[in-house]
Amino acid sequence: MERLKQVVLLTFLCIYTAFAAGPFVWVAIMSLRTTTEISRNHYGLPEMFHWEKFPDAWFNSNYNIYFTNSALVVFSAVVILTLIGAMAAHCFARYRFRLNRLLYFVIFSTIIFPPQITVIALFQILVQYGLYNSLFGLTLVYVAFQLPITIYILETFFARIPNDLFEAARMDGYSEWAIFWRVSLPIALPALATTIILNTILLWNEFLYAVVLITDEDKRTLPLGIQRFMGDQLEDIGMIATGLMIAIIPVVAIYAFFSERLIQGMTAGAVK
Amino acid sequence: MLNISARIRAALAALGLAMLAMPCAQAQEITVWSHWAAEAVKRGYVEEAAKRFEASRPGVKVKITWYEKTALYAALRTALRAGQAPDVFYAEPDQTDYIDNGFLADLSSGLNWGNIEPWAKTAWTVGRGTYGFPLEASTVELYYNRKLLEELGVKLPPNGQLEQGAFLDLVKKAKARGITPMSQGVGDRPFPGAYVTHEVLLKKLGTKEYDDLLRGKLSWNDKRVVEALQFVKQLVDAGAFPASFTSLKLGESHTYFHTNPGALMFQMGSWYTSRAFNPTDKGGQPAGFPLGIMQMPAMTGGACNQCKTMAVGGSFVVNAASPRKEVAIALLNSMATPEMGNKWLENVLVQTGIKTDASKVSGPHADYFKQLARANEGNTYYFGMPIQVMQGKPKEVFTQVINNAFPAGSIGIDDVVKQMNAAK
Amino acid sequence: MSLNRALQTPWRAVTVFLLPALTIYVALTAYPVARTLWNSFHKVLPKREEFVGLANYAELVQDEIFWRAVKNTLIWSCTSPLFEVSIALVLSLALYAKVPGARFFRIAWFTPVLMSYIVVGIIWVWIYNYDWGAANQMLRAVGLESWVMPWLGKPTTALPALIFITTWMWTGFNMVVLLAALHSLPSEVIEAAELDNCGWWSKTIFVILPMIRATVLNLIVLSFVGKMKIFDLVWITTKGGPLWSTETVSTYVYKRAFEWSTFDLGYPSAVASVWFVIVLGSVLALTWAFHQREKLEY
Repeated sequence: MERLKQVVLLTFLCIYTAFAAGPFVWVAIMSLRTTTEISRNHYGLPEMFHWEKFPDAWFNSNYNIYFTNSALVVFSAVVILTLIGAMAAHCFARYRFRLNRLLYFVIFSTIIFPPQITVIALFQILVQYGLYNSLFGLTLVYVAFQLPITIYILETFFARIPNDLFEAARMDGYSEWAIFWRVSLPIALPALATTIILNTILLWNEFLYAVVLITDEDKRTLPLGIQRFMGDQLEDIGMIATGLMIAIIPVVAIYAFFSERLIQGMTAGAVK
Repeated sequence: MLNISARIRAALAALGLAMLAMPCAQAQEITVWSHWAAEAVKRGYVEEAAKRFEASRPGVKVKITWYEKTALYAALRTALRAGQAPDVFYAEPDQTDYIDNGFLADLSSGLNWGNIEPWAKTAWTVGRGTYGFPLEASTVELYYNRKLLEELGVKLPPNGQLEQGAFLDLVKKAKARGITPMSQGVGDRPFPGAYVTHEVLLKKLGTKEYDDLLRGKLSWNDKRVVEALQFVKQLVDAGAFPASFTSLKLGESHTYFHTNPGALMFQMGSWYTSRAFNPTDKGGQPAGFPLGIMQMPAMTGGACNQCKTMAVGGSFVVNAASPRKEVAIALLNSMATPEMGNKWLENVLVQTGIKTDASKVSGPHADYFKQLARANEGNTYYFGMPIQVMQGKPKEVFTQVINNAFPAGSIGIDDVVKQMNAAK
Repeated sequence: MSLNRALQTPWRAVTVFLLPALTIYVALTAYPVARTLWNSFHKVLPKREEFVGLANYAELVQDEIFWRAVKNTLIWSCTSPLFEVSIALVLSLALYAKVPGARFFRIAWFTPVLMSYIVVGIIWVWIYNYDWGAANQMLRAVGLESWVMPWLGKPTTALPALIFITTWMWTGFNMVVLLAALHSLPSEVIEAAELDNCGWWSKTIFVILPMIRATVLNLIVLSFVGKMKIFDLVWITTKGGPLWSTETVSTYVYKRAFEWSTFDLGYPSAVASVWFVIVLGSVLALTWAFHQREKLEY
């Protein structure tokens, strides 16, 4: 009976895994076949591994530009986010002052705001300040977009640090800034890692703000660039698949590498 | 303090003088954003015109960026608002909102209107100004595969127009043989699915009442409108359109007709050729494809069975905020000549708003052009596509209902009438 | 002495720490919300703004497309958590016992969530393709030809098809979270239940479930809020069609602001404002409802 249960379980697991990861595997295979080959048999294995499609997409179809733009924007945004998010979270967690809970709640509540409430006005604001259609403007918008959740995750973590550490540091004559930099941050490294990974993944895939605030071809980020191969003639499935892989691989790599850490972090927030 | 402000004043003065001197010394660059990234012949025409213009005006460079239509419209909408729009861009006459918001320069005095057809000028005239250069014009034609028609054993009358009943029979015959009667796809455009309905309505109602219908002055409940819709429903129910109608893209619908899997008929604007005459690996029709042109069927009790829609399509407009307006207008004017008009006809094989001399058309596709001219003999035209005439809510409902849901067979006639009447 | 130190709030430090975050927040989150509300009372054209009072809201009440979009979005937000969380719950309970190769499975199930909605949308448009998509091919392979249809092209099947996609994306995520929650449960309680001769079923319902209640509720709220915001997936697959069956409030706001042939930003701002109130209201209602149940327990 135990055996049967195990077999059923395992079968079921495999089916579900195929269902969940199947599409990804299918795209990976298609990225190595040409569109003509695909049109003949959509689900076949590659006869020849067309590795040259990747450099082709990279150099001849502007993917290097899209990738660089995405990398630039996401990297800058995440750096700024981590820094000012940690500062604010540390402040909320460790200091007691009148407006503390109120401000924290206001910032926290914006996590549920639908982006539509801000996208129109952000468009107007960026145009007004000449930041429209600029990677810098987009970076700032991304920082604002992810700030609430970053502060939330970090604040929860900072609040758990025992007060004695801070008392000891103060008695050793550390300034407030030094306490933040030398005591809080190092201890909070796991939470920081979580927010960094989370923000990177979310911002790498962000589309709405990118599509509204960027129009120049050479400032496009990857989610916009993927549509490059979707012309209105014959759909170039092979190249689109290659493009999709270029977009997916960095994220999957980061995830596979940090998976345990990330799950711990994300579930720490959801699990009470 | 005084020293500093004196120095600043001097610097500003020098800068001012330098700036005055600049325009004369620097080369001018006219930026153009246009649709037709996928249509090689039209690109060729515009790029040739740009080259000629550059040659005639030393120191002027023309920089063209090619887009696909939806991407272009989205980019323009935000760029215009942000003050970052190009000097010249592609537009179609239905975009009255550009005019309403003062984004377009008035071309009435800058262009040589004597060289342009009056009906083309009207398409772009709003109030007292004319705002666009009507380069492309097209009619709605019904292309068909001559060989397949022969195989089905149907012969067209000399004027190329079947009666309503005979047309329905043809559709059923093709379907019985496993051939898709009419290729069409609305995956990425808001107009192709509506062709069959609005052409049928036009023939049934005649130009005046059809216009009334589009402008909301005639109810969709009208007996003739319902009869026309019933005919379309019969076609849809007989399986006239492909099963993938709702997701098939425009480019794909072309290849569906002439290459794979092949359909009997294809109702499309006469700019069909700008894609069909591309090389085959870019979506063009196969060499020697037996292309024919027939008329949409004559409606029983139709007020105007020789009526057809003609519309001004791709046009170029000038950004009202451009600092190089005169040069931009001159660029457009350089195309408003009979010579350029004929060149357009010969190469692009679509009608144009420029006055042309059809008898002088020569070149490798002259035969096709003669075929097109014959198919337009005796036609009366209604100028304007429905989505050019309608705006706002009626346009949105028209697109969802007449272009998409009705020909896809998702809704019935009563629903169509109700929704279109409600949207007026 | 430490008491004194604790009571002294170092205002300078607080300001330094909070200022950057607050500046960005006010400039790019709080101000835009206020500006959108402002816009909603005006006709906002590129070169001028005109105060129109409640005219936009009056038009909104009559706007069938808006209400259709609200209905679609609410349907999505209410059904998704049901599927995503319940399936994940059942599966994770079943897997709670032993999961060989746990780490590999976790990575595999998490993959859908890592892909952007754009990537997911493109892949699923291919899967739903009428002629050669995996969905229809599989139906044909098992002889269910009559079930083959253009999933994203029919008004009746388009929204369910999209809901299926998001379920595919998020169930794995929920499973991973729930498994982590299950594994962090104190084993003494479970052993105690076993000692008390609880059957497998009652053990699950009365012991395990209550302990992971908070996690489950969190996941439900997360799923609900996520679907209320959805834009990219609809945009890349159906753009709100056919016949507005997949029109969501976010796609409608985008269309009115950037696609309809009018430059007016006032009306879409009104739409966004009303939606904002609806979202806030629903989340508050949900959390209140969940808290009430919790309070009743104690």
